[in-house]
Amino acid sequence: MKCIPSLAAVALGSAIASAPALADDTYGPFPITEKSYSGDKTDSTAYTGQMARHVLHDSLKKLAGKGDGTNSEEIKAQMMAYYAGKDAGRAIIAPASKDGFPVVQTEVDQISKGKDLKGKTYKGVMTGWPGNMTGPEVIEFMIDKASKTKGGFDPLTGYNYPQLISKFAMGAVFYNQATDNYLDEKLRADNKPNNKPYKDGAYYTGKEHSWDEAFGYFGAPAHALSLDAGQTYGIAKQKSLADADYNKDGKVDLYREMTYAHAYYAADADKAGTDYLHTIMRAFIDGRQLIADANGAALSDAQRSKLVGYADVIKTNWEKVLAEAVFKYAGSVYKDLQKLQVIVESSGDAKKAFATYGKHWGELKGFAMALQAGPKNLGELSVKIDRLIGYGPVLLGGGQVVAVSSSGDYEIGGGQDMGNYMVHMIKLQKLLGDHYGLKARKNDATSEMEDLVKSLGDSLAAEND
Amino acid sequence: MFEVAAQWFTDDWAVNFSSPQKRLFWGHLFAAFFIAFIWLVWAKRQRTRSALKHIFSREAWASKSARADYLMFTINSIVMGAMPRLVGSSAVAYLLFETMHAVFDGRPLITLIPPWVVATLFTLVLFVVDDFARYAVHRLMHAVPVLWAFHKVHHSATSLNPVTVLRTHPVEGIIFSIRGALVQGACIGVFVFCFGDKVSLVMILGANAIKFGFNAIGSNLRHSHIAIGFWKPLEKVVMSPAQHQIHHSVDRAHYDKNFGVALSCWDLMFDSLVHSTANQSLKFGLRNNERNPHSLKQLYFRPFLEAGALLVKPITRLLKDTRSKPLPQALNKS
Repeated sequence: MKCIPSLAAVALGSAIASAPALADDTYGPFPITEKSYSGDKTDSTAYTGQMARHVLHDSLKKLAGKGDGTNSEEIKAQMMAYYAGKDAGRAIIAPASKDGFPVVQTEVDQISKGKDLKGKTYKGVMTGWPGNMTGPEVIEFMIDKASKTKGGFDPLTGYNYPQLISKFAMGAVFYNQATDNYLDEKLRADNKPNNKPYKDGAYYTGKEHSWDEAFGYFGAPAHALSLDAGQTYGIAKQKSLADADYNKDGKVDLYREMTYAHAYYAADADKAGTDYLHTIMRAFIDGRQLIADANGAALSDAQRSKLVGYADVIKTNWEKVLAEAVFKYAGSVYKDLQKLQVIVESSGDAKKAFATYGKHWGELKGFAMALQAGPKNLGELSVKIDRLIGYGPVLLGGGQVVAVSSSGDYEIGGGQDMGNYMVHMIKLQKLLGDHYGLKARKNDATSEMEDLVKSLGDSLAAEND
Repeated sequence: MFEVAAQWFTDDWAVNFSSPQKRLFWGHLFAAFFIAFIWLVWAKRQRTRSALKHIFSREAWASKSARADYLMFTINSIVMGAMPRLVGSSAVAYLLFETMHAVFDGRPLITLIPPWVVATLFTLVLFVVDDFARYAVHRLMHAVPVLWAFHKVHHSATSLNPVTVLRTHPVEGIIFSIRGALVQGACIGVFVFCFGDKVSLVMILGANAIKFGFNAIGSNLRHSHIAIGFWKPLEKVVMSPAQHQIHHSVDRAHYDKNFGVALSCWDLMFDSLVHSTANQSLKFGLRNNERNPHSLKQLYFRPFLEAGALLVKPITRLLKDTRSKPLPQALNKS
């Protein structure tokens, strides 16, 4: 019976996605409906805290690759300032202005003050990482390890910490907060009701701000509906000022005009033909409009039920975006292993190829753990994902990280070899593809096989000899 | 109800005549007619009218045997459509593809061979392996009594026309589908493992080009009364229609001969080849006449009774032997 809400969400999602996108279909502005507010604000939309966390995350990722083997303490302190600190004056390390793509803000506080990532990190145990650690413990452990590497990569284990930290934090902070908190608990009638301000003196109601915060964590520019997947993706890559600069002031506002995190990966999947980004955006805008239309009154059961429907569309499609990313990087790891095998067999220099493999594996593992930090207990699926990926990439001589000792050192073991690990990647893609009914299926390691089976047909035949 | 019937008609029945992948595709049937006509007029010196009369003879197309063929074909298109697929080629391909990773400790990519060579090779290998598998399974259907109980439904036809190719018991249909899945899956798994995205099938109208060619040059005449034979050396490689008609003959000398489908080299290799003769005249059907050989009840249910009896026989014999043997002394005393 569990599949019924999901099916309904997909059906509603398709209907939403097929609705015509108007050029002015942006997330906000929405009117002030909070009755107790008497100030001069005209727009009740507010998700600055979430966008501040996006730049904290981007900056943290950048810092994770800054170690040179001698500056461990300094790098670690900087990373912790962006992960757990709330101090004023923190510069935005990424995304920063570059030629042809100037950004408005240079400090985190210009978007929102006193924000951190640690306080919003999922507190459950992460089974996909060795050491039985909670979400914040995993990130702090990784930060410590990253600070001791050169460029964030550990050649002994194959770990690429910028990727591991970034992708896991995307799930443990943004995805978890949005889907397990704001689009879940905070949609209850008695939690942050719409006929009261979110907090005393606020110019937005409880439900308005809860919805805004979920939207912020998704990481889309407010005008994403007027962009196609390639344009939205290109904004994150800082490729086109024209696409990003919606208000035409010649600069990119990191609060409302930038693409971050999950929106970027939704757009990435959509380049292969899916419509996750616009489906999610449409549901966010329609949900927010529904709340605005209530005009500051408590939502009726019917209104709240409809809002929960929009939330289900967002959650279902968001989960698929993460699954598509795991699928994609399982395919990348498979290809990397194929290349490595050729290099090893010809006794070539595998250093560069191994680093690429580590980078893709970091993205694979980070996204898998992000998926596991969502609102649902994935049960058996989660166990299978962990078993197939393991705790670390399989190393050139075989074996992988199997545990962390009490002193925090990695233990390498296991009889896993590269050929067997390639099979694991195929199985992982099949597992996720079947479970989620994935459509983008980037880097599909067995697509040729499926295409051939389809072209040859597979039917019962009574044709005799 | 009407929609269901309409869908069955297009998807399961008419597809046999509309799909170029099928032996009874209208284009292949027309080609067979054309070849038969030319052969009768040019080689056999028949007049046009006489040739047409011969091709569309009442015995071949409207006999009791032929009517049973049409009914079985129609009933099978309902029965087979409702049957579960026991093995899919996708599952076989995956299994082999994964196993080869373990065997070769990874996946070496063969990059030097151009895609058109890989596609030609794949199409050829698939055709040859499939043809050999058909030969092997066909031979088993004759050699194993339980399987023969089902396959003899096909051989009970006393007149042959192209639709006789679908005079098949559903159990045999399941065996064929398993064979097809194993062959396709194995070829796909091995080729994709070795050549990746370079693998494709050379196709004509969506069908395997070689198989299409085989069907287009008159494969439908195999099940017909038009006994076209080939030049002897060619009949050692390619099965002529007349050679397959020998396979359906009741003559003891033709018993268990010419199992091949497109290629006869398998029969040559495994000593079951018989050449066609000029002006051969054959009687088709089963050697031991059975009661009502064209009754649908007999065609569908008798194989189960016969196969059941064959399976039960050894068990009853064993029980009989056990009862007739004296008990050991120790047991007798107790």
